[in-house]
Amino acid sequence: MNNLNVSVDLPHASAPPLSMPDAPPKITVRDLNFYYGQSKALKSINLTLGTNRVTAFIGPSGCGKSTLLRIFNRMYDLYPGQRADGQVLLDKTNILDPKLDLNLLRARIGMVFQKPTPFPMTIYENIAFGVRLYEKLSKSEMDERVEKALRGGALWDEVKDKLNASGLSLSGGQQQRLCIARTVAVRPEVILFDEPCSALDPISTAKIEELISELKEDYTIAIVTHNMQQAARVSDQTAFMYLGELVEFDQTSKIFTSPSDRRTQDYITGRFG
Amino acid sequence: MAEIVVQGGSLEASGPFDRARALSAFKLSDNLFYWTTRIAALSVLGILGGIILSLIVGAWPAMKTFGFEFLWTQRWAPSAQPEPVLGALGPIYGTLVTSFIAMLIAVPVGLGIAIFLTELCPQWLRRPIGIAIELLAGIPSIIYGMWGFFVLGPFLANTFQPLMIGLFEGVPVLGDIFAGPPSYLSLFNASLILAIMVLPFITAVSRDVFDTVPPVLKEAAYGVGCTTWEVVRSVVIPYTRVGVIGGVMLALGRALGETMAVTFIIGNSFRISSSIFAPGTTISAAIASEFAESDGLHQSSLILLGLLLFILTFFVLAAARLMLMRLDRKAGK
Amino acid sequence: MTTLAVDMPAVNPIYARRRRLDIVIRVLCLGAALFGVSWLALILFTLFWNGLAGLSLQVFTEMTPPPGSNSGGLLNAIVGSLLMTIIGVGIGAPLGMFAGTYMAEYGRYDRLTSVVRFINDILLSAPSIIIGLFVYGAVVVPMGGFSALAGSLALAVIVIPVVVRTTEDMLLLVPNPLREAASALGLPRSLVIRRVAYRAARAGIVTGMLLATARVAGETAPLLFTALSNQFWSLDLTSTMANLPVTINNFVQSPYDYWKQLAWAGALIITLAVLALNIGARILGAERTSK
Repeated sequence: MNNLNVSVDLPHASAPPLSMPDAPPKITVRDLNFYYGQSKALKSINLTLGTNRVTAFIGPSGCGKSTLLRIFNRMYDLYPGQRADGQVLLDKTNILDPKLDLNLLRARIGMVFQKPTPFPMTIYENIAFGVRLYEKLSKSEMDERVEKALRGGALWDEVKDKLNASGLSLSGGQQQRLCIARTVAVRPEVILFDEPCSALDPISTAKIEELISELKEDYTIAIVTHNMQQAARVSDQTAFMYLGELVEFDQTSKIFTSPSDRRTQDYITGRFG
Repeated sequence: MAEIVVQGGSLEASGPFDRARALSAFKLSDNLFYWTTRIAALSVLGILGGIILSLIVGAWPAMKTFGFEFLWTQRWAPSAQPEPVLGALGPIYGTLVTSFIAMLIAVPVGLGIAIFLTELCPQWLRRPIGIAIELLAGIPSIIYGMWGFFVLGPFLANTFQPLMIGLFEGVPVLGDIFAGPPSYLSLFNASLILAIMVLPFITAVSRDVFDTVPPVLKEAAYGVGCTTWEVVRSVVIPYTRVGVIGGVMLALGRALGETMAVTFIIGNSFRISSSIFAPGTTISAAIASEFAESDGLHQSSLILLGLLLFILTFFVLAAARLMLMRLDRKAGK
Repeated sequence: MTTLAVDMPAVNPIYARRRRLDIVIRVLCLGAALFGVSWLALILFTLFWNGLAGLSLQVFTEMTPPPGSNSGGLLNAIVGSLLMTIIGVGIGAPLGMFAGTYMAEYGRYDRLTSVVRFINDILLSAPSIIIGLFVYGAVVVPMGGFSALAGSLALAVIVIPVVVRTTEDMLLLVPNPLREAASALGLPRSLVIRRVAYRAARAGIVTGMLLATARVAGETAPLLFTALSNQFWSLDLTSTMANLPVTINNFVQSPYDYWKQLAWAGALIITLAVLALNIGARILGAERTSK
């Protein structure tokens, strides 16, 4: 891919150094600013998410990492007074284009939320629901699709006998995996995880982390997490954000062993945050 | 800078299936749904506009004929010759007096019950009494009216009214207010029925309003040794004052416009009497009992009465809502 | 309750006075509760006493009597009331639900929504006789006569604000992450609302509709000069139609004892129906909160 070198000669010399991932870019962010009404929440962000890589976003509360994630699928569009400028490219399409069809965008970029959000319907319907929107499948094809998605979400063995039970009857960890399966079923290209384990117990957390490592075979993944060990365990690249700025973005191993910025070092050694 | 083709507008189809086409099938229904809901929301405004417009149109002949004199004319003679003479003073007087007396009785009692329910009542009794009161607030007003007509009217005329008349006979002012003879149909009887009818309503609203007081505030007051009454007087009521007034005005709005509880028992007399034991009428009772058989100027005058009632209740209810909204904001809802 | 003397051997006079005042107020509140509850109990007692006495099989099988007759029932009035209530709710409930949907989903931050909410709250407690006048002017006069349709529309106008209010409130209780999750799958907004938000708020919305039905089931004033009433069997929506509230209204003021008895029976039927709807709504509401 020859457009890899795009981000090397950035217009802003002051922009934080941007390391290149060892994979072709899936999402490219250039000079991104974000505003909640008058207040600026993100300041000239530049980075790229490598295809089939896991990128972790870390930083203290309020640093803007969730805000950044919610720009990738334009979730902020649901609320008034929030706007972004700059450029965010998904492959070659500008995500911030106001004329973009958001539903198509969101079908390509799935999202898993902090709290499990099963829909108030059966387990089967939770999965089939999103699929049915875009594809006309026969009953057997749909069954197959649901099974595959539930296997993809590492949930099949636990629920195969109660597909008609309410999605709300599952435990928290199972609900979260159901949400992952639901997202996978629509066949997105990118999956965004917004602190997916913060409401879960350690065993469920381990399962989800394992699942994320498997999912990166097929998807490009971005994960926001509060838990630095988690970032170190699951990600290939890590971005450290602080006060709305991207302080450092590099290979995860580099960030956690020899960060180049003082603030990154302070944060990962637990001096603040 | 190397070239990147930035596409705007549409996302190219990707994967083995055509998402864009699947989605475009939803475009129409998506838009249709949006506009359906928006038009429905606008139709709420349309209803208000329709009410005002139809009342003004209907009342126009009467407004033209009587002008402002309508407001202070007491005589109501739809078949007077050569021209009918119609004035609103009687119904307006009756509406205000019955509502005033009703609130005089219902507000203290309703607040008392609400205080009883939130502060004094044993826990196990709260829910049943609370539910009973809410259910009673839902009983149709014609039931209250019937009961007033068959039971309360005769009862009052035989006991309470003679007692009061005897008690105040010869006393200046009060003697005129409580003047005889006792009657099954009177302003006072209507007021009492109204009071009983709005009682569950006032109780339910004030109880909800009292429940918005943060427990810590009450606990703090009890903590410095306040008695229950002192907690109510210096914490609960100041904290909820706006809401209580809002609730009371909401009830007043109901009382002003209440029809069926009043019509049977008020006597439908357009004459103003100083005694509250004399028959009278209210705006809504006058409309209810005469409208179906009216026509021409008579009907137009009844619609004009309706317009006056609507304006009156609109302002009372608007004030009530503004006050309740202020309380909601305080409670962080 | 322990007495003052046992509580405090050395009685502080200020405290004693405060304590006395507190007891007086407590007694007054208890008195208010007894006063209020006993009136209401008395009304219900009379209603059941007279209503049950008037209730018989023929109330449900025979038409309302012509003047002077000492037999007959309320069949046509019951059917008429059911019909008009169903049509009224059938028109008002969807309209109210859509309006509430706009306010909670599309226009949550709009000025339009706050204006509509304010107006709706006023319509919610506007005198029902005014609604009757409105429908008289807007429907009865142009149509050239009283009709069951006009009565149903008057009831619909009363249903709308109740349903608008509960739908909006219930949709606002649906957590936003659920909407975000549905949007994140690429669902168009209308599907997010219809398939996810409605489903999550279903119990609450149905509760609101039941409450609205209870509200109109006993409404009399707006029917007095829209549907009017008659003593015949009729299912024709374009002419006057017998209905319970107006029949009760007419029979209460009639000179015949049998008619008064029928009025009590009708009142009991309405009250029981309204109570059943209210209790049904409560049970549904309780299910929602326990989930």
